[in-house]
Amino acid sequence: MSLRGGLCVALSALGLVACAPEVVRRPTQLTSVAEQAKDTIEIGETVPVSVGPGYRRVIRRGSLWTRIGRSVEGEVFKPVDGVFTVEGAQIHEAYLVLAGDRLVGFYLPVERAFAPVGDGKEIRLSIRRRPP
Amino acid sequence: MTIRTMLVTAALLLPLSGCATGAKYTEVASTLPPLASSQGRIYFYRPSAFGAAVQPAINLNGQKVGTAKPHGFYFVDRAPGNYEVTAATETEKKLTFTLEPSQERFVRLRIQMGVMVGRIVPELVDKADAERELGKLSFIPDPLK
Repeated sequence: MSLRGGLCVALSALGLVACAPEVVRRPTQLTSVAEQAKDTIEIGETVPVSVGPGYRRVIRRGSLWTRIGRSVEGEVFKPVDGVFTVEGAQIHEAYLVLAGDRLVGFYLPVERAFAPVGDGKEIRLSIRRRPP
Repeated sequence: MTIRTMLVTAALLLPLSGCATGAKYTEVASTLPPLASSQGRIYFYRPSAFGAAVQPAINLNGQKVGTAKPHGFYFVDRAPGNYEVTAATETEKKLTFTLEPSQERFVRLRIQMGVMVGRIVPELVDKADAERELGKLSFIPDPLK
């Protein structure tokens, strides 16, 4: 382990996470859907997800998400009456990006970027679709 | 342990020094000015007194809007758009989020302790969770004073 790596581990163990790397992301373009086409999904089972280097979040059972658009990576769903963030060196508001019922990553609305799921493994979600 | 370390540690452990006092959220919530339909409202609050000596400035898009006062909360109204919250501490963790017209956003200011000093981590919180924590906090009507 390098000196820098060792220092990061030591500081992390002490509660300092200043060494946490940025959330991996790349620019993407969101194409919005018409208001009347914004269908909603409900999550059927709580799912823990890796959202950044060393950080986890939970997508809660019963939470509602509205489809607001599409990017090249998938359909983009924004939380209804809730918030969702991903975290690395910084914390970013994030929406879900789904390909069918698979969670492939997150859309960061401020950065206009796509961040793949933390460990690179897509996650199948239990979802119920509600029409617009 | 150096004298500096001991002083910093002692300061961080003073639990109630410099906490916000005054009317609680539950007392003032109904009297807060209504939000203009063209604006959004961002609440900032710090529920814990741990590390009370660490009270950095809180910046919204680089502009100071208040400090991280323990047991206190305040809000600002802003135009819709993209926002970035940072705390002026030795190491910085920023939060980015969007603000829509008539939307309320809640930013919890959480202390994270390090070896020598603490830092404030701003977290975006949903309204239900925020209102549970806000109930016992004191309103800071002029956070820039």
